[in-house]
Amino acid sequence: MPQIFFKEQGQHVEVAAGTTILQAARNAGIIVESPCDGVGTCGKCKVLLEDAPAGSYKVEEAHYQMPPELAEQGYVLACHTKVLGDITVVAENTAKQNKSLKILSEGESFSYEIDPYFHKEYADGKTKVYAGDKLVGEEDGDTRDKFYGLAIDIGTTTLVTALIDMNTGEELGSMSALNPQSLHAQDVITRIHMASKPEGLALLYGAIRDEFNNTIHALCKKLNVDSKNIYEVIYSGNTTMIHLATNVNPHSLGQFPYTAAIKGGNTIPADDLDISPFGDIYLPPIISAYVGPDITSGVLAAQLEKKKGTTLFIDIGTNGEMILAQDGRLAGTSTAAGPAFEGMNITCGMRAGDGALELYQIQDDGSVKTHTIGDTAAKGICGSGLLDIIGELVRVGVIGKTGRLVKPARGKYPEPLKANMKEKDGKPVFYVADDVYITQSDVRQVQLAKGAIRAGVDMLMMALDVDEQDVDCVEIAGSFGYHLRESSLIDQGMLPEAFRGKVRFVGNTSKSGAKAFLLNKGTRTYMENLVKDIKDVELSQDPKFQDVFVKAMGF
Amino acid sequence: MSTKEEVLAKLKKSIEELDEDMATEGAKEAVELGIDPITAISDGLGAGMQTQSDLFDEGEVFVPQLVVAADIFEQAIGIITADLSEEAKNASSLGKVLICTVDSDIHDIGKNIVKTMLAASGFEVFDLGRDVSSAEVVEKAKEYDVDIIAGAALMTTTMPAQREIIELLKEDGIRDQFKCMFGGAPVSPEWIKEIGADAYAENAAEAVEQAKKLMAM
Repeated sequence: MPQIFFKEQGQHVEVAAGTTILQAARNAGIIVESPCDGVGTCGKCKVLLEDAPAGSYKVEEAHYQMPPELAEQGYVLACHTKVLGDITVVAENTAKQNKSLKILSEGESFSYEIDPYFHKEYADGKTKVYAGDKLVGEEDGDTRDKFYGLAIDIGTTTLVTALIDMNTGEELGSMSALNPQSLHAQDVITRIHMASKPEGLALLYGAIRDEFNNTIHALCKKLNVDSKNIYEVIYSGNTTMIHLATNVNPHSLGQFPYTAAIKGGNTIPADDLDISPFGDIYLPPIISAYVGPDITSGVLAAQLEKKKGTTLFIDIGTNGEMILAQDGRLAGTSTAAGPAFEGMNITCGMRAGDGALELYQIQDDGSVKTHTIGDTAAKGICGSGLLDIIGELVRVGVIGKTGRLVKPARGKYPEPLKANMKEKDGKPVFYVADDVYITQSDVRQVQLAKGAIRAGVDMLMMALDVDEQDVDCVEIAGSFGYHLRESSLIDQGMLPEAFRGKVRFVGNTSKSGAKAFLLNKGTRTYMENLVKDIKDVELSQDPKFQDVFVKAMGF
Repeated sequence: MSTKEEVLAKLKKSIEELDEDMATEGAKEAVELGIDPITAISDGLGAGMQTQSDLFDEGEVFVPQLVVAADIFEQAIGIITADLSEEAKNASSLGKVLICTVDSDIHDIGKNIVKTMLAASGFEVFDLGRDVSSAEVVEKAKEYDVDIIAGAALMTTTMPAQREIIELLKEDGIRDQFKCMFGGAPVSPEWIKEIGADAYAENAAEAVEQAKKLMAM
């Protein structure tokens, strides 16, 4: 049988002839990023074959075209290359990337009484552990001071886990990691598709369960806590992520009329997590198939239903989930913005790691101020950088109203910028750094994404009969939003002009809300009742949606 | 009173400039002048759609412009063909196309643009709408006796419905009576090959090109 040597990981793997490199890597537990799940469209699973003899591999035709300069060096797509003989493969070690990812772990919250669902009682040398009113276990000695819980924000791309002392409410520490599922299938729909089959669900569930346990061990070690003294875990994430984290087939989420197989608002056993044998997992209530527990947590953390006046709460991500609250009346919706904000489908796109351009400002004289994560040379553009760039280029006229790149001869934008408009393969591209540029198709991707968010905002306002001017406050949640400036959201039209001066960034409310669910049991029944009253605004079924969406795509 | 050439030019320009009023006016004049509807479409409105489609390929215009152009086109067609019999409508059609968004998928903006472009290019189009079951697609294809079945899938999770259409045609033993052309954001030429369909179209302009090729086969 042919043998593959994965050089970066130092692993030899034997496979049947004809196995793809991606499959071989997956079998061996080596992660090769494959956001499109091996369909051959995204090109992110590039690996380098080192001195591979002819006939030792076979490259199959894929939709993604490998740039000739890379093909010459020996790069192939792991998903479309079959192994026929012994070869050496250089695949980037993803463990290294994880460290430089920029993830936001803090979010706004409110004050509440410390009154967790679990409690302990000590008598006669034994500590009894209760879940609600039910006795679930007994521990030797007085363990009342060892009483911990976890609040986990399960993002499509990132996981944030906080270890919390349930006696004091203090957050002892928190840890961020890449959601390992994103390496197998990047966007929500691709993940639903993959997990609709038993082997796909097993792979995705197994990956996230292992990552949870790794994080639990690492956090406990760092904070000197015994993981057996963790009694409850809160899972806060979008509806799909909650299905995948609880090993539930998400098939129905991917087929019209898009229903969830779980409803949330209940506890489930935590048998697969390395915590107390009496422990459980609480799932906050789901609002709808595409408005998930992360938003329930957000509503709780931001206390939306208690706010006077009108507040718009948006979590900008692959799915733009949003809630509009007016004097206690709530309506929610979500729009498919696509993965552009995560740097996917963008020519020079990348995640928010070292070398990602995250700030781009054009001065009055046409000179440009930029900043990259990690203060290194720019390697690519992350989601927040992308919005920043597009917003600025629209503002100065490099991008026209319909979204086209305006050629220097016809443009009225500052002279110094005209030199940045060049041609690549006969098409106009605009350079934002030495080797980093924006293409016409990148602008189109942003138009689709921001148009979707804006259409959601407009439709939600229509549903509650609210005018742009009536919105008192706009709260942007999620780590993606936190790296943005208000102007980058408004200049390119993702949010209406009337919102200027009203935008606040509230951070990771999915986590801070999860913490409230953990520490105060009263919040659970309260929110379980409240979500029933949140009006679910279904966009794609509404005949007005197309017009609103189409209009929202312009600048 | 305008001449035939002026009316045709007006119809073309109305689509190019996305001017709804101009299109309505032109369409009414075309009816008054008794201009052959096929000519009004191919040399007037259709020519305008072609300009928009070319501009789309060049990156000059985007989905919003195409959607608006398609809306205006459909409205004008409604006026021009209002008094026409079914037979007259079919008289010089390039071919019959059945189009839909596949089972369990309700995304139809792209499908609507393809529909209009096909109509603008002289095809007779039957639009079944969205979330159409594969069984219904096959049944209607037989009923309308179409030449081409075109189906869009906009989610990875609904792509398998395209395969299902092919399978059902095979089961009925009528696969060779229809050409199958599929598209949608997650669809690729490799997928088309895998499921044994006949053509893949990346966008509306390509759909027209492919449909013409399929008719010539």
